[in-house]
Amino acid sequence: MGAVGRSLRGVRLPTRPRDWQLMGRTARLVLALPTYAVVAALASVASLTAFVVSLNVPVFLDLVVGGPLPLGSRLTVFGELYPFVGTNFTPAQGLLLVAVALLTGIDIAMATYHFREHGLDLQQGGAGAAGVVLGTLGAGCAACGSAVLLGLLSLVGVSTTLLFLPLDGLEFALGAVVVLTLSIYWLADGMRGGEINGCPVDI
Amino acid sequence: MHRRRYLTLAGAGVVGGLAGCGGSGGSGGTSGGRSIDDHPAAADLEEQPRQGDLGGNVVLAFEDPSCTQCRRFHENTVPDIEDGIVDAGEGAYVVRTYPIIYPWGKPATQALESTVARSEGAFWALFDHYFAEQDQFDEGNVLDRTEQFLSASTDLDGSVVVEDARTEAHDDAVQADIAAAEAADLPKQTPIVLLFRDGEFVTRANGSVSYDLIAEALGVS
Repeated sequence: MGAVGRSLRGVRLPTRPRDWQLMGRTARLVLALPTYAVVAALASVASLTAFVVSLNVPVFLDLVVGGPLPLGSRLTVFGELYPFVGTNFTPAQGLLLVAVALLTGIDIAMATYHFREHGLDLQQGGAGAAGVVLGTLGAGCAACGSAVLLGLLSLVGVSTTLLFLPLDGLEFALGAVVVLTLSIYWLADGMRGGEINGCPVDI
Repeated sequence: MHRRRYLTLAGAGVVGGLAGCGGSGGSGGTSGGRSIDDHPAAADLEEQPRQGDLGGNVVLAFEDPSCTQCRRFHENTVPDIEDGIVDAGEGAYVVRTYPIIYPWGKPATQALESTVARSEGAFWALFDHYFAEQDQFDEGNVLDRTEQFLSASTDLDGSVVVEDARTEAHDDAVQADIAAAEAADLPKQTPIVLLFRDGEFVTRANGSVSYDLIAEALGVS
């Protein structure tokens, strides 16, 4: 069973405690480098911002970027789009969105490090991109934006009854967490045996 | 080769993700400054259930009684709209029904239109009731529970209203709201809140947006 758990058609999964330790250690070593810590922070903020703005593009363009409002009002409106500031997300949705944003930042920082140092393979890049897509879908659906999912599902002939999700679409944000976690694991696994900033990656 | 593949995949993911949410949230600005008299979402505005007087600011919300986000909008934002805009004489809060989320929202909407045809006060009571007890409704029980509520908590005869809802006697009003949403090219999501400042369209907000956002957009405190 262990062999089955660790290998699904050759795909490695983080099934052992030391796999998670490897992920944590690799992420810590990468983020200990100031450049990559900044990359992670910027990517996290950018991904969260892109997400909340994408849900309310008209408000962003009409009130934050355009329109006659004074600067203070523009900033207030902009801030109200974010979870925990505005009321567009429940605390659970907000936590998940922040988690997806943080994981996205870590993933991009690690991918950037790996890309610059070692190159990157298809599996790792694909998982990161899938995480971004799932994260976007998740919050969109959670905001009753079922049209996104409906449009995508209709392309492959899936019944719209699948829209009646027990978690109101948070399933997709959870999916994004899983995909991003896998991406981080594969990146860490890819760096196994190497060194980051002089420190060995292996546990 | 690997680098090129990665960049292609990452780019596709970002573009695809943003395109998807663009479909959800709208594809761009909404041409602020248009008169409320000419805005398709505000067609027949005077016939819609509202709190406050028309002529000044208007918060026009498309809502589905079965939508959880609409419930949160109703719980978190609408009370502040009532205090800061309606009661303060700054404008009106107008509702149009848009039943697109769960199946029970459609018969509920028929019941709402059959109710408002008789009593606007009963409409607001029923609208509040749907949100307050949202978890209790399904397609099979919504009209029975509606009848019980109207008979027990309003001056209306619930059985007459529900009979109208079953026969869709006021379907014209239901379809008028849907047609207004479609004519305004609104996305199929709820709630959608259109803001008009002194009779001119300002913007369209998607989701359970906060009162502070609405107040800043309308220039009220």
